[in-house]
Amino acid sequence: MKKVKVAFFDFACCEGCQLQVANMGDLLVDLLDRIELVEFREVMSERGGDYEVAVVEGSITTHHDIERIKKIREKAKILIAYGACACTGGVNGMKNDFDLEDVKRYVYQDKADWFDTVPTMAVDQVVKVDYYVPGCPVYIPEFVRVLKCVLQGLPYKVPDYAVCVECKFNENECMYDKGITCLGPITRAGCNSWCTNNGNICYGCRGMVSNPNKNAQMEVLKRYGIPLEWIINKFNMYNRAKEIQPQEKE
Amino acid sequence: MDQYYRLNKTECREFVGALTSRYQVVAPVKRGEKSFVFARISSPDEIASPEEYIPTIIPPKKYFFPQRETILEYDAVAQRQKAVMEYEKVVIFGVRTCDLAGIQCLNMVFSERPRDVNYLIRKNKLIIIGMECWDYCDEHALCALMDNHLPKGGYDLFFSDLGDYHLIHVNTEVGEEIVRSIGVFTEATGEDLKRLQEFREKKRSAFDTGIDLSHPELMDLFANCEDARVWEELGERCLSCGNCTTVCPTCYCFDVIDEINLDLRTGERFRIWDSCQNEDFAKVAGGESFREERSGRQRHRYLRKFKYPLAKYSRFFCTGCGRCSRACMAQIHIKETIKALIAERAGV
Ligand code: SF4
Ligand code: SF4
Ligand code: SF4
Ligand code: SF4
Repeated sequence: MKKVKVAFFDFACCEGCQLQVANMGDLLVDLLDRIELVEFREVMSERGGDYEVAVVEGSITTHHDIERIKKIREKAKILIAYGACACTGGVNGMKNDFDLEDVKRYVYQDKADWFDTVPTMAVDQVVKVDYYVPGCPVYIPEFVRVLKCVLQGLPYKVPDYAVCVECKFNENECMYDKGITCLGPITRAGCNSWCTNNGNICYGCRGMVSNPNKNAQMEVLKRYGIPLEWIINKFNMYNRAKEIQPQEKE
Repeated sequence: MDQYYRLNKTECREFVGALTSRYQVVAPVKRGEKSFVFARISSPDEIASPEEYIPTIIPPKKYFFPQRETILEYDAVAQRQKAVMEYEKVVIFGVRTCDLAGIQCLNMVFSERPRDVNYLIRKNKLIIIGMECWDYCDEHALCALMDNHLPKGGYDLFFSDLGDYHLIHVNTEVGEEIVRSIGVFTEATGEDLKRLQEFREKKRSAFDTGIDLSHPELMDLFANCEDARVWEELGERCLSCGNCTTVCPTCYCFDVIDEINLDLRTGERFRIWDSCQNEDFAKVAGGESFREERSGRQRHRYLRKFKYPLAKYSRFFCTGCGRCSRACMAQIHIKETIKALIAERAGV
Protein backbone atom coordinates (compact mmCIF):
# COMPACT_ATOMS: atom_id res chain seq x y z
CA MET A 1 0.00 0.00 0.00
CA LYS A 2 1.32 3.42 -0.93
CA LYS A 3 1.89 5.64 2.07
CA VAL A 4 -0.06 8.86 2.30
CA LYS A 5 2.08 11.96 2.72
CA VAL A 6 1.04 13.92 5.78
CA ALA A 7 2.27 17.33 6.89
CA PHE A 8 1.63 19.04 10.24
CA PHE A 9 1.38 22.81 10.42
CA ASP A 10 0.92 25.03 13.44
CA PHE A 11 -0.70 28.40 13.84
CA ALA A 12 -1.62 30.17 17.10
CA CYS A 13 -1.46 27.37 19.67
CA CYS A 14 0.72 25.74 22.29
CA GLU A 15 1.66 22.79 20.06
CA GLY A 16 0.40 20.52 22.81
CA CYS A 17 -1.75 18.63 20.33
CA GLN A 18 1.27 17.80 18.18
CA LEU A 19 3.01 16.65 21.31
CA GLN A 20 0.19 14.14 21.76
CA VAL A 21 1.33 12.51 18.50
CA ALA A 22 4.90 12.41 19.68
CA ASN A 23 3.61 10.63 22.80
CA MET A 24 1.72 7.97 20.87
CA GLY A 25 4.42 5.31 21.32
CA ASP A 26 3.78 1.98 19.58
CA LEU A 27 0.67 3.25 17.89
CA LEU A 28 2.80 5.81 16.06
CA VAL A 29 4.95 2.99 14.69
CA ASP A 30 1.83 1.27 13.30
CA LEU A 31 0.61 4.54 11.94
CA LEU A 32 3.88 5.15 10.13
CA ASP A 33 3.20 1.98 8.13
CA ARG A 34 0.32 3.89 6.57
CA ILE A 35 1.48 7.47 6.44
CA GLU A 36 4.68 9.29 5.70
CA LEU A 37 5.38 12.38 7.76
CA VAL A 38 6.85 15.01 5.49
CA GLU A 39 6.59 17.97 7.83
CA PHE A 40 6.39 17.83 11.61
CA ARG A 41 8.19 20.49 13.58
CA GLU A 42 7.65 18.83 16.91
CA VAL A 43 9.71 15.71 16.12
CA MET A 44 11.67 16.27 12.93
CA SER A 45 13.91 18.93 11.55
CA GLU A 46 13.94 18.46 7.77
CA ARG A 47 11.19 20.09 5.75
CA GLY A 48 9.81 18.03 2.90
CA GLY A 49 7.94 19.23 -0.15
CA ASP A 50 4.71 17.59 -1.27
CA TYR A 51 1.87 16.43 0.94
CA GLU A 52 -1.64 15.11 0.42
CA VAL A 53 -2.99 15.56 3.93
CA ALA A 54 -2.46 18.74 5.92
CA VAL A 55 -2.99 18.49 9.66
CA VAL A 56 -3.47 22.02 10.89
CA GLU A 57 -3.05 22.95 14.52
CA GLY A 58 -3.84 26.38 15.94
CA SER A 59 -6.15 29.25 15.17
CA ILE A 60 -5.84 32.01 12.62
CA THR A 61 -4.87 35.30 14.25
CA THR A 62 -2.89 37.40 11.72
CA HIS A 63 -3.12 38.44 8.08
CA HIS A 64 -0.04 36.37 7.44
CA ASP A 65 -1.86 33.34 8.92
CA ILE A 66 -4.73 33.89 6.52
CA GLU A 67 -2.41 33.86 3.50
CA ARG A 68 -0.48 30.87 4.80
CA ILE A 69 -3.53 28.71 5.51
CA LYS A 70 -4.92 29.51 2.06
CA LYS A 71 -1.67 28.27 0.47
CA ILE A 72 -1.77 25.09 2.57
CA ARG A 73 -5.36 24.52 1.53
CA GLU A 74 -4.45 24.93 -2.13
CA LYS A 75 -1.73 22.32 -1.89
CA ALA A 76 -3.52 19.78 0.31
CA LYS A 77 -6.06 17.28 -0.96
CA ILE A 78 -7.37 16.83 2.56
CA LEU A 79 -7.25 19.33 5.41
CA ILE A 80 -7.72 18.26 9.01
CA ALA A 81 -8.41 20.86 11.71
CA TYR A 82 -6.48 19.49 14.63
CA GLY A 83 -7.20 20.48 18.22
CA ALA A 84 -9.49 23.03 19.84
CA CYS A 85 -7.63 26.07 18.51
CA ALA A 86 -8.06 24.91 14.91
CA CYS A 87 -11.60 23.54 15.33
CA THR A 88 -13.29 26.24 17.40
CA GLY A 89 -10.65 28.91 17.91
CA GLY A 90 -10.01 27.44 21.34
CA VAL A 91 -8.81 29.56 24.23
CA ASN A 92 -7.37 32.05 21.74
CA GLY A 93 -10.96 33.06 21.06
CA MET A 94 -11.09 34.83 24.42
CA LYS A 95 -9.20 37.63 22.69
CA ASN A 96 -12.34 38.46 20.73
CA ASP A 97 -13.98 39.67 23.92
CA PHE A 98 -11.68 42.68 23.97
CA ASP A 99 -10.79 45.57 21.74
CA LEU A 100 -8.11 44.41 19.32
CA GLU A 101 -5.83 47.42 19.87
CA ASP A 102 -6.05 47.05 23.66
CA VAL A 103 -5.12 43.40 23.38
CA LYS A 104 -2.12 44.22 21.24
CA ARG A 105 -0.89 46.91 23.63
CA TYR A 106 -1.40 44.61 26.59
CA VAL A 107 0.64 41.81 25.05
CA TYR A 108 3.37 43.64 23.12
CA GLN A 109 3.45 46.85 25.15
CA ASP A 110 5.58 49.52 23.46
CA LYS A 111 6.38 47.16 20.56
CA ALA A 112 2.71 46.80 19.66
CA ASP A 113 3.08 48.60 16.35
CA TRP A 114 5.50 45.95 15.11
CA PHE A 115 2.82 43.27 15.26
CA ASP A 116 -0.25 42.48 13.20
CA THR A 117 -3.37 40.86 14.62
CA VAL A 118 -6.92 39.97 13.55
CA PRO A 119 -9.79 38.53 15.59
CA THR A 120 -9.21 34.84 16.36
CA MET A 121 -10.72 32.48 13.81
CA ALA A 122 -11.09 28.76 13.63
CA VAL A 123 -9.51 27.29 10.50
CA ASP A 124 -12.87 26.71 8.83
CA GLN A 125 -13.69 30.38 9.14
CA VAL A 126 -11.02 30.95 6.52
CA VAL A 127 -10.75 27.81 4.40
CA LYS A 128 -12.73 24.61 3.89
CA VAL A 129 -12.01 21.90 6.46
CA ASP A 130 -12.56 18.23 5.63
CA TYR A 131 -12.11 16.65 9.05
CA TYR A 132 -12.22 17.87 12.64
CA VAL A 133 -10.31 16.49 15.63
CA PRO A 134 -11.50 18.67 18.52
CA GLY A 135 -10.09 18.79 22.03
CA CYS A 136 -7.51 20.56 24.16
CA PRO A 137 -5.50 18.50 23.70
CA VAL A 138 -6.81 16.08 21.07
CA TYR A 139 -7.78 12.60 22.21
CA ILE A 140 -5.41 10.30 20.34
CA PRO A 141 -7.84 7.38 19.81
CA GLU A 142 -10.12 9.84 18.02
CA PHE A 143 -7.27 11.18 15.90
CA VAL A 144 -6.42 7.63 14.81
CA ARG A 145 -10.09 7.05 13.99
CA VAL A 146 -10.10 10.20 11.86
CA LEU A 147 -6.92 9.14 10.04
CA LYS A 148 -8.48 5.77 9.27
CA CYS A 149 -11.47 7.57 7.78
CA VAL A 150 -9.12 9.75 5.72
CA LEU A 151 -7.25 6.69 4.45
CA GLN A 152 -10.51 5.04 3.47
CA GLY A 153 -12.04 8.15 1.97
CA LEU A 154 -14.90 8.06 4.48
CA PRO A 155 -16.35 11.05 6.35
CA TYR A 156 -15.86 11.32 10.11
CA LYS A 157 -18.55 12.80 12.25
CA VAL A 158 -17.60 14.23 15.63
CA PRO A 159 -20.18 12.87 18.11
CA ASP A 160 -23.09 15.25 18.61
CA TYR A 161 -24.08 14.07 22.05
CA ALA A 162 -22.91 15.18 25.49
CA VAL A 163 -19.74 14.23 27.37
CA CYS A 164 -22.18 13.08 30.08
CA VAL A 165 -23.05 10.05 27.95
CA GLU A 166 -19.49 8.76 28.10
CA CYS A 167 -19.09 9.90 31.70
CA LYS A 168 -22.09 7.81 32.71
CA PHE A 169 -20.81 4.82 30.72
CA ASN A 170 -17.71 5.11 32.88
CA GLU A 171 -19.83 5.41 36.03
CA ASN A 172 -18.08 8.44 37.41
CA GLU A 173 -19.68 10.15 40.35
CA CYS A 174 -21.29 13.22 38.84
CA MET A 175 -19.66 16.55 39.67
CA TYR A 176 -23.10 18.05 40.29
CA ASP A 177 -23.59 15.46 43.04
CA LYS A 178 -20.45 16.79 44.64
CA GLY A 179 -21.77 20.34 44.40
CA ILE A 180 -19.33 21.16 41.60
CA THR A 181 -20.41 22.42 38.19
CA CYS A 182 -19.36 20.81 34.95
CA LEU A 183 -19.82 21.64 31.25
CA GLY A 184 -20.26 17.99 30.25
CA PRO A 185 -23.99 18.32 29.50
CA ILE A 186 -23.50 20.74 26.59
CA THR A 187 -20.05 19.63 25.38
CA ARG A 188 -19.46 17.23 22.51
CA ALA A 189 -18.43 13.72 23.51
CA GLY A 190 -15.62 11.77 21.88
CA CYS A 191 -12.90 12.07 24.53
CA ASN A 192 -14.31 9.19 26.60
CA SER A 193 -14.94 11.78 29.36
CA TRP A 194 -11.20 12.09 29.82
CA CYS A 195 -11.28 14.78 32.51
CA THR A 196 -14.15 13.54 34.65
CA ASN A 197 -12.60 10.05 34.64
CA ASN A 198 -9.63 11.68 36.32
CA GLY A 199 -11.57 13.60 38.93
CA ASN A 200 -11.67 16.88 37.04
CA ILE A 201 -14.61 18.82 35.62
CA CYS A 202 -15.29 19.07 31.90
CA TYR A 203 -14.18 22.51 30.70
CA GLY A 204 -15.91 22.16 27.36
CA CYS A 205 -12.71 21.92 25.33
CA ARG A 206 -14.33 19.96 22.51
CA GLY A 207 -16.83 22.69 21.77
CA MET A 208 -20.55 22.65 22.31
CA VAL A 209 -22.97 20.14 20.81
CA SER A 210 -24.73 21.46 17.69
CA ASN A 211 -27.89 22.39 19.55
CA PRO A 212 -26.99 23.15 23.17
CA ASN A 213 -29.73 24.26 25.55
CA LYS A 214 -27.69 27.17 26.86
CA ASN A 215 -30.57 28.67 28.81
CA ALA A 216 -31.14 25.43 30.66
CA GLN A 217 -27.43 25.06 31.40
CA MET A 218 -27.43 28.64 32.67
CA GLU A 219 -30.35 27.89 34.97
CA VAL A 220 -28.50 24.88 36.38
CA LEU A 221 -25.31 26.87 36.95
CA LYS A 222 -27.25 29.72 38.57
CA ARG A 223 -28.64 27.26 41.05
CA TYR A 224 -25.07 26.64 42.12
CA GLY A 225 -24.73 30.33 42.89
CA ILE A 226 -22.47 31.12 39.95
CA PRO A 227 -22.72 34.76 38.77
CA LEU A 228 -23.91 35.29 35.20
CA GLU A 229 -20.58 36.77 34.14
CA TRP A 230 -18.69 33.66 35.22
CA ILE A 231 -21.19 31.45 33.44
CA ILE A 232 -20.59 33.36 30.22
CA ASN A 233 -16.84 33.10 30.75
CA LYS A 234 -17.21 29.36 31.23
CA PHE A 235 -19.17 29.05 27.99
CA ASN A 236 -16.71 31.25 26.14
CA MET A 237 -13.47 29.69 27.29
CA TYR A 238 -13.36 27.43 24.25
CA ASN A 239 -16.28 28.62 22.20
CA ARG A 240 -15.82 32.35 21.74
CA ALA A 241 -14.43 32.30 18.21
CA LYS A 242 -17.17 30.01 16.99
CA GLU A 243 -18.91 26.79 17.57
CA ILE A 244 -17.74 23.85 15.55
CA GLN A 245 -19.85 23.17 12.49
CA PRO A 246 -21.20 19.65 12.55
CA GLN A 247 -20.17 17.60 9.57
CA GLU A 248 -23.02 15.71 8.01
CA LYS A 249 -22.55 12.21 6.74
CA GLU A 250 -22.77 12.13 2.98
CA MET B 1 -36.56 -25.58 44.74
CA ASP B 2 -38.87 -22.96 46.19
CA GLN B 3 -37.21 -23.57 49.44
CA TYR B 4 -36.26 -21.21 52.27
CA TYR B 5 -33.04 -21.20 54.26
CA ARG B 6 -31.60 -19.19 57.10
CA LEU B 7 -28.19 -17.56 57.14
CA ASN B 8 -27.02 -16.15 60.45
CA LYS B 9 -25.46 -12.74 60.08
CA THR B 10 -22.32 -14.01 61.77
CA GLU B 11 -21.90 -16.39 58.81
CA CYS B 12 -22.40 -13.75 56.13
CA ARG B 13 -18.71 -13.09 55.69
CA GLU B 14 -18.02 -16.77 55.34
CA PHE B 15 -20.76 -17.06 52.72
CA VAL B 16 -19.48 -14.17 50.61
CA GLY B 17 -15.91 -15.40 51.04
CA ALA B 18 -16.87 -18.86 49.80
CA LEU B 19 -18.78 -17.31 46.94
CA THR B 20 -15.78 -15.24 45.81
CA SER B 21 -13.53 -18.28 45.96
CA ARG B 22 -15.87 -20.23 43.67
CA TYR B 23 -17.17 -17.54 41.32
CA GLN B 24 -16.44 -14.12 39.90
CA VAL B 25 -18.63 -11.95 42.09
CA VAL B 26 -19.81 -8.42 41.45
CA ALA B 27 -21.60 -6.40 44.12
CA PRO B 28 -22.47 -2.80 44.89
CA VAL B 29 -19.39 -0.88 46.03
CA LYS B 30 -19.09 2.71 47.06
CA ARG B 31 -17.97 5.04 44.26
CA GLY B 32 -18.40 8.52 45.74
CA GLU B 33 -20.17 10.28 48.58
CA LYS B 34 -23.62 9.33 47.35
CA SER B 35 -22.94 6.92 44.53
CA PHE B 36 -22.44 3.23 44.10
CA VAL B 37 -21.47 0.93 41.24
CA PHE B 38 -21.63 -2.79 40.64
CA ALA B 39 -18.01 -3.90 40.52
CA ARG B 40 -15.89 -7.00 40.95
CA ILE B 41 -15.17 -7.80 44.59
CA SER B 42 -12.66 -10.15 46.12
CA SER B 43 -13.59 -9.72 49.75
CA PRO B 44 -16.83 -9.10 51.69
CA ASP B 45 -15.36 -5.86 53.05
CA GLU B 46 -15.62 -4.22 49.65
CA ILE B 47 -19.41 -4.49 49.53
CA ALA B 48 -21.28 -1.28 50.31
CA SER B 49 -23.30 -1.40 53.50
CA PRO B 50 -26.91 -2.38 52.69
CA GLU B 51 -28.23 0.51 54.79
CA GLU B 52 -26.26 3.01 52.76
CA TYR B 53 -26.47 1.59 49.27
CA ILE B 54 -28.90 3.33 46.93
CA PRO B 55 -29.35 2.13 43.31
CA THR B 56 -26.00 2.08 41.51
CA ILE B 57 -25.09 4.71 38.87
CA ILE B 58 -25.70 2.17 36.10
CA PRO B 59 -28.03 -0.75 36.80
CA PRO B 60 -26.86 -4.37 36.53
CA LYS B 61 -28.07 -4.35 32.92
CA LYS B 62 -24.45 -3.62 32.00
CA TYR B 63 -23.64 -7.28 32.62
CA PHE B 64 -26.40 -8.44 30.26
CA PHE B 65 -25.98 -5.71 27.70
CA PRO B 66 -22.66 -3.87 28.07
CA GLN B 67 -22.24 -0.18 27.26
CA ARG B 68 -20.05 -1.17 24.32
CA GLU B 69 -20.03 -4.67 22.96
CA THR B 70 -18.20 -6.25 20.01
CA ILE B 71 -20.64 -8.32 17.99
CA LEU B 72 -18.68 -9.13 14.84
CA GLU B 73 -15.12 -9.33 13.54
CA TYR B 74 -14.48 -8.97 9.84
CA ASP B 75 -11.85 -9.14 7.17
CA ALA B 76 -12.95 -6.80 4.42
CA VAL B 77 -10.52 -8.12 1.82
CA ALA B 78 -11.15 -11.82 2.35
CA GLN B 79 -14.87 -11.04 2.76
CA ARG B 80 -14.95 -13.04 5.97
CA GLN B 81 -16.89 -12.28 9.12
CA LYS B 82 -17.24 -13.98 12.45
CA ALA B 83 -19.92 -13.37 15.06
CA VAL B 84 -18.43 -12.55 18.46
CA MET B 85 -19.96 -13.52 21.77
CA GLU B 86 -18.17 -12.57 24.91
CA TYR B 87 -19.56 -13.84 28.18
CA GLU B 88 -18.44 -14.76 31.64
CA LYS B 89 -19.96 -16.66 34.48
CA VAL B 90 -20.60 -13.97 37.06
CA VAL B 91 -22.57 -13.81 40.29
CA ILE B 92 -24.36 -10.49 40.71
CA PHE B 93 -24.80 -10.08 44.43
CA GLY B 94 -27.15 -7.62 46.11
CA VAL B 95 -29.64 -6.85 43.33
CA ARG B 96 -32.62 -4.92 44.65
CA THR B 97 -36.18 -5.65 43.60
CA CYS B 98 -36.37 -2.62 41.29
CA ASP B 99 -33.36 -3.92 39.38
CA LEU B 100 -34.75 -7.45 39.28
CA ALA B 101 -37.79 -5.94 37.59
CA GLY B 102 -35.53 -4.07 35.17
CA ILE B 103 -33.81 -7.30 34.16
CA GLN B 104 -37.21 -8.94 33.65
CA CYS B 105 -38.20 -6.11 31.30
CA LEU B 106 -35.02 -6.46 29.26
CA ASN B 107 -35.45 -10.24 29.13
CA MET B 108 -38.77 -9.68 27.40
CA VAL B 109 -37.33 -7.19 24.94
CA PHE B 110 -34.30 -9.25 23.96
CA SER B 111 -36.26 -12.50 23.76
CA GLU B 112 -38.50 -11.11 21.07
CA ARG B 113 -37.85 -12.47 17.61
CA PRO B 114 -35.38 -12.05 16.09
CA ARG B 115 -33.91 -13.02 19.43
CA ASP B 116 -30.80 -11.27 20.65
CA VAL B 117 -28.38 -14.16 20.94
CA ASN B 118 -25.62 -12.19 22.63
CA TYR B 119 -27.95 -11.02 25.36
CA LEU B 120 -29.55 -14.40 25.92
CA ILE B 121 -26.27 -16.34 26.07
CA ARG B 122 -24.89 -13.89 28.55
CA LYS B 123 -28.06 -14.00 30.60
CA ASN B 124 -27.72 -17.77 30.96
CA LYS B 125 -24.29 -17.37 32.52
CA LEU B 126 -25.33 -14.80 35.10
CA ILE B 127 -26.35 -15.80 38.58
CA ILE B 128 -28.47 -13.28 40.44
CA ILE B 129 -28.68 -12.90 44.18
CA GLY B 130 -31.39 -10.44 45.14
CA MET B 131 -31.77 -8.40 48.29
CA GLU B 132 -34.90 -7.00 49.91
CA CYS B 133 -35.38 -3.36 50.97
CA TRP B 134 -37.50 -2.45 53.97
CA ASP B 135 -37.85 1.23 53.25
CA TYR B 136 -37.40 3.73 50.43
CA CYS B 137 -33.70 4.23 49.74
CA ASP B 138 -34.20 7.96 49.12
CA GLU B 139 -36.75 10.57 48.04
CA HIS B 140 -36.41 9.71 44.33
CA ALA B 141 -37.43 6.07 44.49
CA LEU B 142 -40.97 5.12 43.48
CA CYS B 143 -40.77 1.34 43.38
CA ALA B 144 -43.89 0.91 45.51
CA LEU B 145 -45.95 2.98 43.08
CA MET B 146 -44.68 0.68 40.33
CA ASP B 147 -45.30 -2.36 42.53
CA ASN B 148 -41.68 -3.43 42.43
CA HIS B 149 -40.83 -3.17 46.10
CA LEU B 150 -41.66 -6.83 46.59
CA PRO B 151 -39.73 -9.64 44.90
CA LYS B 152 -41.45 -11.26 41.94
CA GLY B 153 -38.89 -13.77 40.79
CA GLY B 154 -36.07 -13.12 38.38
CA TYR B 155 -33.33 -14.27 40.79
CA ASP B 156 -31.54 -17.44 41.81
CA LEU B 157 -31.38 -16.57 45.50
CA PHE B 158 -33.13 -13.80 47.38
CA PHE B 159 -32.01 -12.42 50.73
CA SER B 160 -34.41 -10.81 53.22
CA ASP B 161 -32.79 -9.33 56.29
CA LEU B 162 -34.89 -10.36 59.30
CA GLY B 163 -32.76 -8.89 62.06
CA ASP B 164 -30.05 -11.23 63.25
CA TYR B 165 -30.36 -13.52 60.25
CA HIS B 166 -31.21 -13.49 56.55
CA LEU B 167 -34.04 -15.55 55.17
CA ILE B 168 -33.07 -16.87 51.78
CA HIS B 169 -35.49 -17.87 49.08
CA VAL B 170 -34.13 -20.40 46.60
CA ASN B 171 -35.69 -19.89 43.21
CA THR B 172 -33.57 -21.98 40.83
CA GLU B 173 -31.43 -25.08 40.71
CA VAL B 174 -28.34 -22.91 40.42
CA GLY B 175 -29.39 -21.19 43.63
CA GLU B 176 -30.02 -24.54 45.30
CA GLU B 177 -26.57 -25.69 44.30
CA ILE B 178 -24.94 -22.63 45.84
CA VAL B 179 -26.78 -23.17 49.10
CA ARG B 180 -25.86 -26.85 49.13
CA SER B 181 -22.21 -26.38 48.28
CA ILE B 182 -21.59 -23.55 50.74
CA GLY B 183 -22.66 -25.22 53.93
CA VAL B 184 -23.45 -22.23 56.10
CA PHE B 185 -27.24 -22.34 55.73
CA THR B 186 -29.86 -24.02 57.87
CA GLU B 187 -33.35 -24.88 56.80
CA ALA B 188 -36.00 -22.33 57.62
CA THR B 189 -39.06 -23.11 59.70
CA GLY B 190 -42.65 -21.96 59.54
CA GLU B 191 -41.73 -19.42 62.23
CA ASP B 192 -39.25 -17.79 59.89
CA LEU B 193 -41.81 -17.51 57.12
CA LYS B 194 -44.28 -15.95 59.53
CA ARG B 195 -41.64 -13.44 60.51
CA LEU B 196 -41.06 -12.63 56.84
CA GLN B 197 -44.77 -12.02 56.40
CA GLU B 198 -44.77 -9.66 59.37
CA PHE B 199 -41.85 -7.71 57.92
CA ARG B 200 -43.59 -7.47 54.57
CA GLU B 201 -46.78 -6.31 56.25
CA LYS B 202 -44.85 -3.40 57.73
CA LYS B 203 -43.56 -2.52 54.27
CA ARG B 204 -47.00 -1.43 53.17
CA SER B 205 -46.97 1.66 55.33
CA ALA B 206 -43.22 2.26 55.12
CA PHE B 207 -43.26 2.71 51.35
CA ASP B 208 -45.19 5.91 50.84
CA THR B 209 -44.52 7.44 47.40
CA GLY B 210 -46.82 10.38 47.97
CA ILE B 211 -48.68 9.64 44.74
CA ASP B 212 -52.01 7.98 45.19
CA LEU B 213 -52.67 6.24 41.89
CA SER B 214 -53.62 2.67 41.10
CA HIS B 215 -52.06 1.07 38.05
CA PRO B 216 -55.17 1.52 35.88
CA GLU B 217 -55.19 5.17 36.91
CA LEU B 218 -51.51 5.55 36.09
CA MET B 219 -52.12 3.95 32.71
CA ASP B 220 -54.98 6.29 32.12
CA LEU B 221 -52.89 9.32 33.10
CA PHE B 222 -50.35 8.57 30.40
CA ALA B 223 -52.82 7.29 27.81
CA ASN B 224 -53.92 10.75 26.72
CA CYS B 225 -51.19 13.11 27.78
CA GLU B 226 -49.62 13.83 24.39
CA ASP B 227 -50.62 17.49 24.39
CA ALA B 228 -49.86 18.22 28.02
CA ARG B 229 -48.03 21.48 28.77
CA VAL B 230 -45.74 19.52 31.08
CA TRP B 231 -43.63 18.37 28.11
CA GLU B 232 -42.97 21.93 26.95
CA GLU B 233 -41.82 22.80 30.41
CA LEU B 234 -39.49 19.79 30.62
CA GLY B 235 -38.19 20.58 27.14
CA GLU B 236 -37.15 24.03 28.27
CA ARG B 237 -35.26 22.71 31.25
CA CYS B 238 -33.68 19.62 29.70
CA LEU B 239 -30.02 19.80 28.65
CA SER B 240 -30.19 16.64 26.52
CA CYS B 241 -27.27 15.17 28.42
CA GLY B 242 -28.86 11.73 28.12
CA ASN B 243 -28.17 10.81 31.76
CA CYS B 244 -31.80 9.84 32.40
CA THR B 245 -31.72 7.17 29.70
CA THR B 246 -28.17 5.95 30.19
CA VAL B 247 -28.91 5.08 33.81
CA CYS B 248 -32.38 3.61 33.23
CA PRO B 249 -32.58 -0.15 33.75
CA THR B 250 -35.12 -0.55 30.96
CA CYS B 251 -33.60 1.63 28.24
CA TYR B 252 -32.13 -0.64 25.60
CA CYS B 253 -31.50 1.46 22.49
CA PHE B 254 -28.15 1.01 20.80
CA ASP B 255 -26.25 2.10 17.72
CA VAL B 256 -24.09 -0.21 15.59
CA ILE B 257 -20.70 0.99 14.37
CA ASP B 258 -17.95 -0.61 12.26
CA GLU B 259 -14.39 0.19 13.20
CA ILE B 260 -11.56 -0.87 10.93
CA ASN B 261 -8.03 -1.54 12.17
CA LEU B 262 -4.98 0.33 10.93
CA ASP B 263 -4.30 -2.48 8.46
CA LEU B 264 -7.43 -1.13 6.72
CA ARG B 265 -8.53 -4.71 6.20
CA THR B 266 -9.67 -6.26 9.47
CA GLY B 267 -11.99 -4.67 11.96
CA GLU B 268 -14.85 -5.10 14.35
CA ARG B 269 -18.49 -4.20 14.56
CA PHE B 270 -19.68 -3.07 17.95
CA ARG B 271 -22.89 -1.86 19.46
CA ILE B 272 -23.00 1.02 21.87
CA TRP B 273 -25.83 2.40 24.02
CA ASP B 274 -27.76 5.18 22.36
CA SER B 275 -30.36 7.57 23.73
CA CYS B 276 -33.57 9.16 22.50
CA GLN B 277 -32.35 12.34 24.20
CA ASN B 278 -29.35 12.64 21.85
CA GLU B 279 -29.55 15.12 18.99
CA ASP B 280 -28.90 12.58 16.24
CA PHE B 281 -31.09 9.78 17.57
CA ALA B 282 -34.13 10.46 15.40
CA LYS B 283 -32.19 11.83 12.44
CA VAL B 284 -32.57 10.10 9.10
CA ALA B 285 -30.66 10.36 5.82
CA GLY B 286 -30.72 13.97 4.63
CA GLY B 287 -30.43 15.28 8.19
CA GLU B 288 -34.15 15.46 8.96
CA SER B 289 -34.98 14.69 12.61
CA PHE B 290 -38.27 13.21 13.67
CA ARG B 291 -37.94 14.54 17.17
CA GLU B 292 -36.21 17.85 16.89
CA GLU B 293 -37.77 19.42 19.99
CA ARG B 294 -36.57 18.52 23.44
CA SER B 295 -40.16 18.50 24.65
CA GLY B 296 -40.91 15.71 22.20
CA ARG B 297 -37.89 13.74 23.31
CA GLN B 298 -38.82 14.01 26.96
CA ARG B 299 -42.40 12.99 26.22
CA HIS B 300 -41.10 10.05 24.24
CA ARG B 301 -38.94 8.92 27.16
CA TYR B 302 -41.91 8.96 29.53
CA LEU B 303 -44.26 7.27 27.12
CA ARG B 304 -41.64 4.56 26.59
CA LYS B 305 -41.98 3.80 30.29
CA PHE B 306 -45.65 4.42 31.02
CA LYS B 307 -47.59 3.87 27.80
CA TYR B 308 -46.05 2.00 24.86
CA PRO B 309 -44.75 -1.07 26.75
CA LEU B 310 -48.20 -1.67 28.21
CA ALA B 311 -49.53 -2.37 24.75
CA LYS B 312 -46.53 -4.46 23.79
CA TYR B 313 -45.48 -6.25 26.99
CA SER B 314 -48.41 -5.64 29.33
CA ARG B 315 -46.26 -4.00 31.95
CA PHE B 316 -44.87 -0.63 32.90
CA PHE B 317 -41.23 -0.17 31.96
CA CYS B 318 -40.52 2.12 34.87
CA THR B 319 -39.24 -0.01 37.70
CA GLY B 320 -39.33 2.88 40.16
CA CYS B 321 -35.60 2.86 40.82
CA GLY B 322 -35.44 6.67 40.68
CA ARG B 323 -32.12 6.74 38.83
CA CYS B 324 -33.31 9.18 36.15
CA SER B 325 -34.21 11.72 38.83
CA ARG B 326 -30.93 11.30 40.69
CA ALA B 327 -28.88 11.69 37.50
CA CYS B 328 -30.59 14.83 36.17
CA MET B 329 -28.70 18.04 36.94
CA ALA B 330 -31.72 19.97 35.64
CA GLN B 331 -33.78 18.36 38.40
CA ILE B 332 -36.32 16.80 36.08
CA HIS B 333 -37.76 14.36 38.58
CA ILE B 334 -40.05 11.54 37.62
CA LYS B 335 -42.29 11.90 40.70
CA GLU B 336 -42.68 15.61 40.02
CA THR B 337 -43.55 14.94 36.39
CA ILE B 338 -46.27 12.50 37.39
CA LYS B 339 -47.62 14.98 39.93
CA ALA B 340 -47.54 17.76 37.33
CA LEU B 341 -49.51 15.61 34.90
CA ILE B 342 -52.08 14.86 37.59
CA ALA B 343 -52.38 18.54 38.43
CA GLU B 344 -52.67 19.53 34.78
CA ARG B 345 -55.40 17.01 34.19
CA ALA B 346 -57.27 18.22 37.24
CA GLY B 347 -57.08 21.68 35.69
CA VAL B 348 -54.90 23.17 38.41
S1 SF4 C 1 -19.55 14.82 35.88
FE1 SF4 C 1 -19.95 16.28 34.22
S2 SF4 C 1 -19.78 15.04 32.37
FE2 SF4 C 1 -20.05 13.61 34.06
S3 SF4 C 1 -22.28 13.23 34.17
FE3 SF4 C 1 -21.80 14.90 35.59
S4 SF4 C 1 -22.14 16.76 34.40
FE4 SF4 C 1 -21.96 15.08 32.93
S1 SF4 D 1 -13.91 15.99 29.47
FE1 SF4 D 1 -14.41 18.02 28.59
S2 SF4 D 1 -12.58 19.29 28.96
FE2 SF4 D 1 -11.96 17.13 29.23
S3 SF4 D 1 -11.18 16.44 27.24
FE3 SF4 D 1 -13.38 15.93 27.28
S4 SF4 D 1 -14.43 17.71 26.37
FE4 SF4 D 1 -12.34 18.36 26.93
S1 SF4 E 1 -30.94 13.76 32.66
FE1 SF4 E 1 -32.23 15.58 32.74
S2 SF4 E 1 -31.14 17.14 31.54
FE2 SF4 E 1 -30.26 15.15 31.01
S3 SF4 E 1 -31.41 14.48 29.18
FE3 SF4 E 1 -32.42 13.59 30.99
S4 SF4 E 1 -34.04 15.04 31.55
FE4 SF4 E 1 -32.61 16.11 30.17
S1 SF4 F 1 -37.74 5.75 34.25
FE1 SF4 F 1 -36.40 6.42 35.92
S2 SF4 F 1 -37.28 5.55 37.77
FE2 SF4 F 1 -38.18 4.48 36.03
S3 SF4 F 1 -36.87 2.68 35.73
FE3 SF4 F 1 -36.05 4.29 34.39
S4 SF4 F 1 -34.47 5.30 35.62
FE4 SF4 F 1 -35.73 4.09 37.04
